[in-house]
Amino acid sequence: MSSDTLIIGYGNPDRQDDGVGWHILRNLADKLGHHIPDDPGASIEVSDPKVDLIYILQIFPELAENISKYKRVCFVDAHTSDIPEEISWVDITPEYEKSPLTHHMSPRTVLSIANTIYDKKPEALLVSVRGYHFGFMRSLSPQTAKLAQDATQRIWAWIEHNLQSK
Amino acid sequence: MAPQKITIEPVTRIEGHAKVTIHMNDDDQVDHAYFHVNEFRGFEKFCEGRMFYEMPQITPRICGICPVSHHLAAAKAGDIILGVTPPRPATLLRELMHMGQIIQSHGMHFFELAGPDLILGFDAEPAIRNVVGLIGADPELTVRAVQLRKFGQDIIFQVGGRRIHPNFAVPGGVNHALTAEKRDHMRQGIDQAIETTQIGLQLFKDWADANIADIEKFAVFHTGYFGLVTPENGLELYDGNIRLIDREGHELEHFSAQNYLDVISEHVEDWSYLKFPYYKKMGWPQGVYRVGPLGRLNTAEQIDTPLAQKEFEIYHQINDGKPIQHTLYYHYARLIETLFAIERAQILLDDPEILSNDILNKRGHFQGEGVGVIEAPRGTLLHHYWVKPNGQLERVNLIVSTGHNNWAMSEAVDSVAKTYVKGPEVQEGMLNRVEAAIRAYDPCLSCSTHAIGQMPIKLDVINSSGEVIKTLQRD
Repeated sequence: MSSDTLIIGYGNPDRQDDGVGWHILRNLADKLGHHIPDDPGASIEVSDPKVDLIYILQIFPELAENISKYKRVCFVDAHTSDIPEEISWVDITPEYEKSPLTHHMSPRTVLSIANTIYDKKPEALLVSVRGYHFGFMRSLSPQTAKLAQDATQRIWAWIEHNLQSK
Repeated sequence: MAPQKITIEPVTRIEGHAKVTIHMNDDDQVDHAYFHVNEFRGFEKFCEGRMFYEMPQITPRICGICPVSHHLAAAKAGDIILGVTPPRPATLLRELMHMGQIIQSHGMHFFELAGPDLILGFDAEPAIRNVVGLIGADPELTVRAVQLRKFGQDIIFQVGGRRIHPNFAVPGGVNHALTAEKRDHMRQGIDQAIETTQIGLQLFKDWADANIADIEKFAVFHTGYFGLVTPENGLELYDGNIRLIDREGHELEHFSAQNYLDVISEHVEDWSYLKFPYYKKMGWPQGVYRVGPLGRLNTAEQIDTPLAQKEFEIYHQINDGKPIQHTLYYHYARLIETLFAIERAQILLDDPEILSNDILNKRGHFQGEGVGVIEAPRGTLLHHYWVKPNGQLERVNLIVSTGHNNWAMSEAVDSVAKTYVKGPEVQEGMLNRVEAAIRAYDPCLSCSTHAIGQMPIKLDVINSSGEVIKTLQRD
C-alpha cells in the first residue's frame, strides 16, 4: 500500500452492468496514469500515492485484512431495484449481514470482520451505480456507461478532497 | 383456518435464484415443502459455436465461487477432445490449484457460513449467529478461519497467476510452470492450515457429541452415493473413475466419466429449473444419489494421506462402516476433505517434478467429443462437449455439482420442515434449521452476478385464498 485510501471495485464484468465497478476503476487508473488493458475483467491492482485500487469479482472474508490497513475505503458496485438514486453514495459502518443460502458477502459484513478481528474501523463509503442490463456481455449499457463516467468524476473529486484535507 | 403456504425467498441475485415454500395444512403442521431453483441460465446454449479450447476461459464465468473447478473440468474435456495426455508436471500443477480451491471453499463454508449455526446454535439471535459472533466464542479461531481461506486462495493465485479467472489450464496441459520461490511460499502455510482444520474437526466432534439427538432426526434419509475414486477406491478429487454405491454401500457401478450418459439420466419437475439426475437402472426417484463431501466419503473406502485417513477411520465407524445418511455429517466430511486437500497440496509441492517445464503435450489425435470430470467442492462436475472438425462446439452438456444434489436438498427441506416447523407462530429457529438443511449441501446456484439491492430473506404465510396473512422478514 502506498496510500491511506483504498477503492475496491467488485462485480462480474461478464454480466454487462454488473461489472460497472471494473469500468469505474479503470477510469480512475487512467486518471492516475496507470494503464489497464481494455479488457473488462483484466486484473486491476494499482498502488499509487494518491489512492490504491483493487478489483475483485466478489467480496471475501480475508479482504478484512486488506481494508484494516487503510484510513478510508470506498466500495464500488452496481445496484438494482429499490435504490432510488442513479448513483448512490452512502457512508457505511460495520454490520454483519447474513446471506442465508449463498456465499455472498456485503461491504458492511467485511467491515464488521475487520472491526472485530483487527480492531480497525476505516471510514467507509459505498458507491453504487444503477445497472440496467445484466446480459452475457462485457460492454455496459449506454445508460450505465454514462453513469459510470459521472461516478468516476465524483469519486475522483472525493479522492482529491481527501488529499487536500490532509 | 385455511391451509397456509410459507415462502422463504432470498432474492440475492438479479435472477432470483431459489426459494423454499412450506405448505401448511389445516392443523398448522407442514404438509410438504419444496426447494425450488427458479433461474434459467442457458449457459450450454450460449457456448455453442465457440471454439472448444476457449471453454477453460468461458466456463469459469458460470461461478464466482468455484471458477477453478469449471476451468479444470473444461481443460480436461479439451484433453480428451485433442486426444492428449498432459505431461505429469502439468497434472501435478492442475491438481495443486484444485486443492487450493477445495481448501478455500470448504474453509469458508465451515467457518464462515455453517459453523456459526453449529457453534452458536440454531436458536441464537441472528445478530450474533455469524462469523463475528464467533469472536466471542473463540477469537483466535476466527482469525485462523480467515487465514485458512486466504491460504487456499493464495495457492490458486500462485499457481494460476491471477486472482480472478485464472488463465492457466489448457487442453494438453498448462501454460506456465511453477517457480521455486512460489513453491516455497506456499509450503509455509501448510502447518497452520492443518492445525486450523484439526481445530475445526474437534469443534465439530464436540458439537456432534452434544447434539446427537438433533443429528439423528435432521434430514436423515437413504440415497445412493456418487464420486470419483482412486483405483483402490480411495478418496479422489481431481481424476479417476466414478463409483456409485447404494444405500447399503454395495457398488452399483464403477465407470469412466466418458460413459456417464449410460449410467445417469436427468428428471424434470415443473417446479424447478434445475434438473434431477438419477441412476438410470434404478429409475426415478429410486435412483437418486448424493454427491459432495458426504457422497465422496461414503463412496471411498480409504484416504491416501495419513491425517485424513486417521479421521476417516473415526468417521467410517459412525454407521458401522455403512454409508452415513445424516445430512449434518456433511460438515464433518467437508473438514476431513479439507485436511486431505492440505496434505495433498504438501505432497504435490514436495514432488520434484512440480517445477518441471514439461507442461504441455500438443501431440494428439482429434477425437471430436470429450467429457471432463472433477470433484468440485460441492460435488462431481461434468463437462461434456461435442465438437465439429473445425473445433467449434456443436453441443454442450454441463452437469453441475448442485444439480446432482437437487433431489436431496428438496428432500432435506421437506424433512426438516416437517420435523421442526410448527404453526401458527413460525419461530426464527425453525426457519434457521430449514436454511441449515440446504446450507449443509453448500449449493451454488448462481454466484456470477451480485448487484446491490437484493431483497432480504422473506417468509410469507399465505392462506388458501392467496392472501398474505403474515410476513416475517429478516434484513
